[in-house]
Formats: sequence, C-alpha cells, structure tokens
Amino acid sequence: MIFREVEDPDLIAKARRGDVEAYNLLVSRWEKRVFNYLLRLVSNREDALDVSQEVFLKAYQNLPKLDDPARFSGWLFRIAHNEAFSLLRRRKPESDLAREPRPPATSPRLLPMELSLAVETALARLSPDQREAVLLKIYQGFKFEEMAEILDCPVSTVKSRLYTALDLLKETLAPAVVSKEA
Amino acid sequence: MNCLSPDSKPDWKTYALGEMEPEDRRLAEAHAATCESCHHELATLRLTLDALSTLREEEVPRRIAFVSDKVFEPRWWQRIFNPTFAAASVLAAAILVHAFVRPSSDAQVQARVDAAVTKAVAQLQDQQVQAEVAYSLVRDAREDVSRMYIAATGLKRQ
Repeated sequence: MIFREVEDPDLIAKARRGDVEAYNLLVSRWEKRVFNYLLRLVSNREDALDVSQEVFLKAYQNLPKLDDPARFSGWLFRIAHNEAFSLLRRRKPESDLAREPRPPATSPRLLPMELSLAVETALARLSPDQREAVLLKIYQGFKFEEMAEILDCPVSTVKSRLYTALDLLKETLAPAVVSKEA
Repeated sequence: MNCLSPDSKPDWKTYALGEMEPEDRRLAEAHAATCESCHHELATLRLTLDALSTLREEEVPRRIAFVSDKVFEPRWWQRIFNPTFAAASVLAAAILVHAFVRPSSDAQVQARVDAAVTKAVAQLQDQQVQAEVAYSLVRDAREDVSRMYIAATGLKRQ
C-alpha cells in the first residue's frame, strides 16, 4: 500500500470545517520550526514558548481569512513575526547583551559545541531585523519573495538586511571556522 | 586573475544563498575558477554558512496547547452556528414542511377524489332536473299556444 501523507492544505480545509484533530496535527507539524524561529528572535525560551502559543491561537482564529492554503507557512510566519516584534517593542529598546563589547574577530580554536555558542552569540549581536532575515533564509529556507511578504517590505530591503547580516557574521564566524579546521 | 571592475563581479551572496538563476550560476562558477579574490570571497561565505548550520534546532520544552485544550475551545455561539449545524437545520426544516404539506396516505388522496366526484355528479344531477323542469314548462307553453291558435282559427272560419 502506498502511504500518502495528508498535505497541509487538506488539514487546513478540515480545520476550517471544525475538525480540531486536523488543526492539532498542523500544530504538531509546525511548532518546532515556529518555536525555534521565535527563540532565536526574542532570545528567551519562556517568551518564545508564550509567543508560539499565541501564534497558533491567532492562526486558528484567523484560519477562515487565509486566502491561499498553499501559502500557509508564510502566513503562519507572518503572524509569528508580528507577535515577536510586538514583544520586542514592549521590551527595553536596547538589551544588556547588545551593549556588551564584541569578541575579537579571530577566535581561538573552537570545539563543535563552542562553535554553536559562537553562532548563537554572533546572531544575538545582530539587530532584530538582520537576525530575522538570517533566520527566515538560512534556517527556515524561505525565498526572498516569501520573506518580503512575511516582513511586509520590498525584496530589496530583505536583501539589504540579509547581506549586511552576512557581512557581520562573516567577520566573526569565518575566522573561527578557519582556526577550528587548522 | 582578479575582477577588473565591481560590475563584472558576481553577486556571491545571492549565489551562496541559492537564489541565482541557473545560467548566471554557471557563469559565476566559471568566473570563480579564474578569479582569486572571488574564489576567496565565496570560500569565506561558505565557511560562514557552514558555521551557521552547526546551530541545531531545539525541542519545544513543553507542547503547544492543542485545539482540543480549554484555551482553544470555541464559544457556545461558535459551536451552534457552524456550517454543519446550518445545513442540518435547513434539511430538518425542509423535512418538516414536506411532512405537513404532503398528504399522509394514498387513502386520503382517494377519499378526496371520491368526494370531488360525488360533488360533481350531484351538481350534474341538479342541472339535469332543472333542465327537465324547464323542458316540461316549455312543452306546456307550446301546447297552450297550439290550443290558442286552433281556437283562434276556428272562430275565424265560423
């Protein structure tokens, strides 16, 4: 027997008709991706979890407004983006972490776990807009056009944020990788 | 060899992020093979992306509440006024209307037909009786006229 996984649009159609199990399945499919995106963006586990909860609640309530079920992922991340930036605006304009001095450009040899920590630190030092561009492109695999829809800005702005972020990350991370491999 | 002008330099970030068109990609790769500075830039970008890829996804510490949980429960009016309920209501109303309008059995239909036939026959019989009365009145009148005519012509001859 050929097993065919139920596609997201099918689940969305069922959820719209009141099938709660279909929506539960959607939540279980997307919660890890949404949580990780929010975790890197708001840099706090509890906040990321609370915002994830809010995102899925709002998505459920607004499911009838979703025009094209095939574009569910972009729509879901647009809600996540709005919720995350709503939280960031409520926070202090500049966190203590952002005021910390930058580490030296050339890091000593790094173990894999240390490299992950270096990546986390490097990401945390980006502005929220730059960090979000990296998260959506590198970790969530969205295209430039999809990112522009999620962020509600032109593609040129998306590319500008992403390229600046990559230049900053390159300064910190590339030397660290080179020294690790040496 | 190095790039002679910035315009001839491929957009390496677009390339490394997988957003370059296949034809441009092929040209960029051919360029990188001969341009030392571009080769170095691309290598550095790849190292950066490799480093970023070491960051693993974390498990969700506790599950997100499901629709079946209290937080997702719809309000009472949302429960009632859903499309399924509306369709069922329309169907039930149609069945009830149909049940009241439609005769309940064939016997009732037959009884109605019999009553209508009886009424029609009675009307016909009434009309027949009236016609017979009218006919006899006309016949009597004609006989009276004949008698009066005979009497009148007899008087003339005399």
